[in-house]
Amino acid sequence: MGGNIMTNNEVCYHSDTVNELLARYGVRFGIYKNGAFKEQLFPYDAIPRVIGADEFEFLEKGLIQRVTALNEFIKDIYGAKAIVRDSVVPEEFIFAFSGFLAQCDGIVPPKGIHAHIAGIDLVQAKDGTWYILEDNLRVPSGASYPMIARELSRRSNPGMYKKYRIEDNRDYADLLRSMMNYVNTGGHNVILTPGRYNAAYFEHSYLAEKTGAHLVNGHELTVENDHLYFIDYTGRKEPVGAVYRRISDEYLDPMNFNGESVIGIPHIFDIYRKGNVALINAPGNGVADDKGIYYFVPKMVKYYLNEEPILQNAPTYLPFYPKDMAYVLEHFDDLVLKDVAEAGGYGVVFGSAMTEEKKQDFKNRLKAEPRRFIAQEVIDFKDIDIVDNGGAVPRKADLRAFVLMGEKPMVWKSGLTRFSRNPESFIVNSSQGGGFKDTWVLSR
Amino acid sequence: MGIISVENTDRLYWLGRYTERTYTTILLFSESFDGLIDGPEDYYTDFCRRLDIPDIYPNAEDFTKHYPYDRTNPDSIVSNLMRAYDNAIVLREELGSETLSYLQLAVYAMNKAAVSDAPLIELQKVEDNLLAFWGIADDTIESENVRNIIKVGKRIERIDLYGRIQMPEKCMRREIHRLTGRIPRTNLAYNKNLLSDLAKMAELPSPDYYRIVEKTDHLLAQ
Repeated sequence: MGGNIMTNNEVCYHSDTVNELLARYGVRFGIYKNGAFKEQLFPYDAIPRVIGADEFEFLEKGLIQRVTALNEFIKDIYGAKAIVRDSVVPEEFIFAFSGFLAQCDGIVPPKGIHAHIAGIDLVQAKDGTWYILEDNLRVPSGASYPMIARELSRRSNPGMYKKYRIEDNRDYADLLRSMMNYVNTGGHNVILTPGRYNAAYFEHSYLAEKTGAHLVNGHELTVENDHLYFIDYTGRKEPVGAVYRRISDEYLDPMNFNGESVIGIPHIFDIYRKGNVALINAPGNGVADDKGIYYFVPKMVKYYLNEEPILQNAPTYLPFYPKDMAYVLEHFDDLVLKDVAEAGGYGVVFGSAMTEEKKQDFKNRLKAEPRRFIAQEVIDFKDIDIVDNGGAVPRKADLRAFVLMGEKPMVWKSGLTRFSRNPESFIVNSSQGGGFKDTWVLSR
Repeated sequence: MGIISVENTDRLYWLGRYTERTYTTILLFSESFDGLIDGPEDYYTDFCRRLDIPDIYPNAEDFTKHYPYDRTNPDSIVSNLMRAYDNAIVLREELGSETLSYLQLAVYAMNKAAVSDAPLIELQKVEDNLLAFWGIADDTIESENVRNIIKVGKRIERIDLYGRIQMPEKCMRREIHRLTGRIPRTNLAYNKNLLSDLAKMAELPSPDYYRIVEKTDHLLAQ
């Protein structure tokens, strides 16, 4: 952590300055509470997470391995389905789940890439071991926050960046652009946003600015003659070859998915099927980032790559398997239980925190719907210092690493470190009051 | 990438109009505020009449509080600033974060002014940030078309306001000259005959402000 290579005093007093600058640049995220949309600042903490060069090299190898295997898995599921045929992953964890899109069956996306941008959530245990907590392969967000925080922090405290040799993370837009260019089928790159009232709208607009892609709404794009076009204000049609879409699968195309969607583009999925546009990330990726399928990722690494997994999952149990169900019921108090249908830190409960009555209720639900839950050993995260009332206090934090699959896999030499502001909590999600830190990767 | 949608063109134009409306009405309000110090109590009613906004204020004190800061009043200064902001926030990739930040600062300054003991002093900071916004927009926005659309919005709004408050002829002439030089530098569709009429009207010894405003309103294709 930060204290290893620097004194926290070096950075503490810059938290307020950088937070003021973040407010100035409109760095916010939106939440819906009680039916009302509200934007709030995302609290920044100036003490960075620091990852040494050797440690990052290890993470980089593991992340590339994992995302490569996940990409192969998605390709396989919408293709030959060999992993199911070979009984490595039971079909109950694939075809019955909403993340599987039957419409994607048989589709090979441009350059064969499904998981263009993967947000992989990790935690580090007190013994230094890194564990993967979650794979996000649909619309992972968060890279823009450390990007702009670094920009502002360098202004606020240039001496520190001169003193320490830190990989410059402001190249994320370059990585993104190069990936978009690689899969582009001919035409402009655009970022498709559902609009200003999306939780991550700041990110959509900031990445558009930094990549030079055009930020568009669904109604600004049209499908004609099997190609996608952006219509400019003179009525001229400009071809679009890559769409970094920040809307979910079901709203992407009202003609193929949710017919009530007003934020999608009619027939875009039809031309995607024909290979005439790249959709980033590919539709149907939900089949690979479900909390239930997470259990099988190490098996995918062995199956597709014939390699031992470099990065470990947190020890996980699937109540779907009788043996695991028995373990979960017996060790209920030692486990954290997650509803596979929930996200954003919701649907996560600790066995030890429940009353006896609630435990019994939960166990009954578990038996009734074993596929719906996973159970994990509680990992005692390594604490990271945050600034609090001018001093430093330890808090739980995770790391979202970003892997981009372009011409070659690229791991961004940074990441979004999210922390809990509540000393009692392991939940770091911004929607539940968490803050963020920059992630420094030291260069040699 | 050099292409702009109809929606963003419209937003850029209205961004120009609302920033100008905020800027000029703060100047006018400040003058009016000064007039209220030693002028008649109903001095503000003339202000409303000249700007052609409803006089919904029971007294001068209410006017000085609600005209600048009441977000529920569609004619207030803050409502116009928020309309400018609402247009700008969805134009980050056209304007750039640096340019956009000055509008954000103007909003913060406005919020601060609303609770300040010295609101006129704080409103000056709103003006400062709007001036900075225009300056940096001119300096850093790469697309000439984008810059010019904002400026066209700004000029049209200024002519409209100057017409309403009967600003001196030299001021009006200057704005018309600026507008007639600016519109052809955009790709906006406009009525060339009306623009030519406007240029001629500006040269008349006593320009008809009512007709100038009317023609300006119809310059751009809907």
